[in-house]
Amino acid sequence: MATRTEPTPRPRRIWQWGDIRHRNLGMIAFILNRLSGLGLTLYLFLHMLVLSTLAQGPAGWDPFIEIVKAPWFLLLDVVLLFGLLIHGLNGLRVTLNGFGLGVRAQKPLFVGLMVIAVVTGAIGTWLIFTK
Amino acid sequence: MSAPHVIVIGAGSTGAATAHDLALRGFRVTVLERGEIANQTTGRNHCLLHSGGRYCVKDQESAIECIDENLILRRIMPEALELNDGLFVAITEEDLAFKQLFVAGCVACHIPYREISPQRALALEPFLNPKLLAAVQVPDGVFEPWRFCLAFLATAKHNGASVRAFAEVTDLLRSGSAVTGVKVRDLRTGQTETLGADLVVNATGPWAGEIAHLGGVDVPVQPTAGVMVTVDRRLNNMVVNRLDKPSDGDIVVPQRQTSIIGTTSWTILDPDQIDIPKDHIDKMIHKGQELIPAIAQRVVRGVGAAARPLIRKANTDEREVSRTFECFDHKYDGVEGFVTISGGKTTTARGMAEKVTDLVAGKLGVSAECRTRTTPLLSYRLFYN
Amino acid sequence: MAIEVPVKMFRCKAGEAPRFEAHRVSVPDDANVIDVIDAVWRQDNTLMFRHACHHASCGTCAVRVNGYEKLPCIVPVREAMAGQTEMVIEPLRNFPLVGDLVVDVTSFFQKQAASGMVITRAAEPSLDGRAYERAEVFDDAGRLDTRPYNRFENCIECGICLSACPTLSATDRFFGPAGLAAVRRAVQTTPDPRRKSLLLALADSDHGVWQCHSAFECTEACPQDVDPAGAIMALRRELAVRKLKAVFGLGGH
Ligand SMILES: Cc1cc2nc3c(=O)[nH]c(=O)nc-3n(C[C@H](O)[C@H](O)[C@H](O)COP(=O)(O)OP(=O)(O)OC[C@H]3O[C@@H](n4cnc5c(N)ncnc54)[C@H](O)[C@@H]3O)c2cc1C
Ligand code: SF4
Repeated sequence: MATRTEPTPRPRRIWQWGDIRHRNLGMIAFILNRLSGLGLTLYLFLHMLVLSTLAQGPAGWDPFIEIVKAPWFLLLDVVLLFGLLIHGLNGLRVTLNGFGLGVRAQKPLFVGLMVIAVVTGAIGTWLIFTK
Repeated sequence: MSAPHVIVIGAGSTGAATAHDLALRGFRVTVLERGEIANQTTGRNHCLLHSGGRYCVKDQESAIECIDENLILRRIMPEALELNDGLFVAITEEDLAFKQLFVAGCVACHIPYREISPQRALALEPFLNPKLLAAVQVPDGVFEPWRFCLAFLATAKHNGASVRAFAEVTDLLRSGSAVTGVKVRDLRTGQTETLGADLVVNATGPWAGEIAHLGGVDVPVQPTAGVMVTVDRRLNNMVVNRLDKPSDGDIVVPQRQTSIIGTTSWTILDPDQIDIPKDHIDKMIHKGQELIPAIAQRVVRGVGAAARPLIRKANTDEREVSRTFECFDHKYDGVEGFVTISGGKTTTARGMAEKVTDLVAGKLGVSAECRTRTTPLLSYRLFYN
Repeated sequence: MAIEVPVKMFRCKAGEAPRFEAHRVSVPDDANVIDVIDAVWRQDNTLMFRHACHHASCGTCAVRVNGYEKLPCIVPVREAMAGQTEMVIEPLRNFPLVGDLVVDVTSFFQKQAASGMVITRAAEPSLDGRAYERAEVFDDAGRLDTRPYNRFENCIECGICLSACPTLSATDRFFGPAGLAAVRRAVQTTPDPRRKSLLLALADSDHGVWQCHSAFECTEACPQDVDPAGAIMALRRELAVRKLKAVFGLGGH
């Protein structure tokens, strides 16, 4: 009888979950956690890959140590360190909140933990490049 | 033979309740609403499930209708009503003098009432004006208008009705002297189509006159606007009325988190263009404080206005017009297949629907009895299914 | 006094590409954003928008105003225009589009119905379930005290929290903030342990509380102080405690 018009489902695009426009602090936390989470997963795979080459003995080992000592690689270490800190500390917030702890204070908690992440990260960076 | 097809124009409380009654009696029903459900008068009314107390002195016919329907809705409508009763409070000696009339009115209209002491009233409603002199408790209630309509429409849909929002009737189809359907513009697509019907019910409230014109008949609807001012906090739990004859700003209705002060009354020409006079808003806030002084300490959260679809009668002030409804069979204007239902209140929507559906059933030779008094409505959420 | 508002209105008819339409409307200076939308509708009555009560109890009118989810019926135009040169009005995110400002709320209401949580109770002795003395609501100087009114039933089912939720912008399956807040209230209020277990199972399912990414955007956006994120955290806590108890054999189920 009557012509029906179905509502149009709006297409989801991959960048949508990363779109921080018109969102608040929580969205930043969300994005940081996703990016660092993805980064860490990638790192884990690389790590396994490398370990398996290392298992082949000194022939695999020596060139690897060369690469690892290069300054550009140290920079990657810094990235890894920040990733770990951000993901870990933000995860701490999520876990605490999940247990009903600090739910009302989740914003200051996030900011505080991120300050800790940055400070610790900075110290770590200094150590990596100087030691 | 398939059941007769009836088109209901307008999904305010009147159209929604009518669709329900029609569907329950086995008609094929299509509801056409040009906007969201309840987007006009019904959505923007004062949300008072009348006990009849407001009319029991000056308009006992309305009052009796209200208490009857109030008691029915309590039984059939889930999830859309708050039933905390209402208080009529006397602030001045003049109000106090009105009490006798009021109580006599309650008795005459079989409205259950209970006089309570000012102390007791203040204990129940701590925000009341502490200077109150007397208080009478009646079974007022509060409805949420949008969900009120959805409950009727959900049930109608369940019984086979089709409900189309954002479908505006732009013309009536006529064959000879009979209305045989409508022209609808679907606002979602911008396309216009025609829909045939055995009968068309005009339930467009303040627009009833306009739609009637499309059918070549005249309906004396007089759109009369009223303002409601909502403060940002719920200050009362029962409906608080001034114990006096109805006047501007004499009632504060709690609605969820807020309290709504109402209302005023002025005649308008076009219900699509209501400009709210600023002095009406100030008046509401001022008069509301006589009932609940704490209103002075709150901020206004929203202001709305809507037009009552009152039936015009000669030589009367707007407020004197009887608020009971009218149901027109346009056969008496020489047009078959066309009926208008207008006036009334949201509280009495079911009763109005019963009357118009009786008329429709009679015209289309359907003998089913009205069952809406006892049929429980579905949850409004099931409208979306 | 009136103010002039330049509006960019989202328009979209079925089968057509969305576009923004420019309007200039004049509204009283104390008007709310809904009056601006209404004024645009008066210029062009093919505009589709949802509205009913104009005082934040029906929850139909939620849209995005300059990007953020708002209930236009309670946001003053002045506030919305602060620091802005125009008012951009768009439909909510994360819902299928019906057209213009109207989104399809069907699946949202189905989720709300699933918890069976009723938002309008027939009777409530007071906002938080108890009667107040006069002395409790006014201080000595006769000023109004803050009464607690933060309860789930403040929810008006406006869908704003769903639009603000980053998880829902990636998947439709998540039960959503309002739905989980409703589950939480139902868990709190039901006297029936079996129903409580069913509700908790719903919260514990694949698309329940664990899919939330703790962005708290819902709580930030909710116009009614419902705090859906807080409700999600409370459910997580309850579930976690139950699971721990079960692991350590402390008689939890
Ligand atoms: C200020 C005020 C306060 C009130 N307070 C109360 C109260 O507290 N309690 C109470 O019980 N009653 C109250 N009333 C009365 C009550 O609101 C009305 O009587 C009732 O809502 C009328 O409903 P209706 O369905 O007839 O009209 P409406 O709700 O106006 O419905 C008519 C519908 O028709 C639609 N329409 C119009 N033209 C077309 C078209 N061409 N095509 C398709 N659809 C169309 C409109 O969009 C509208 O939705 C109040 C009224 C006012 C004005
Ligand atoms: S929780 Fe808040 S934002 Fe979400 S639907 Fe309810 S009122 Fe709207």
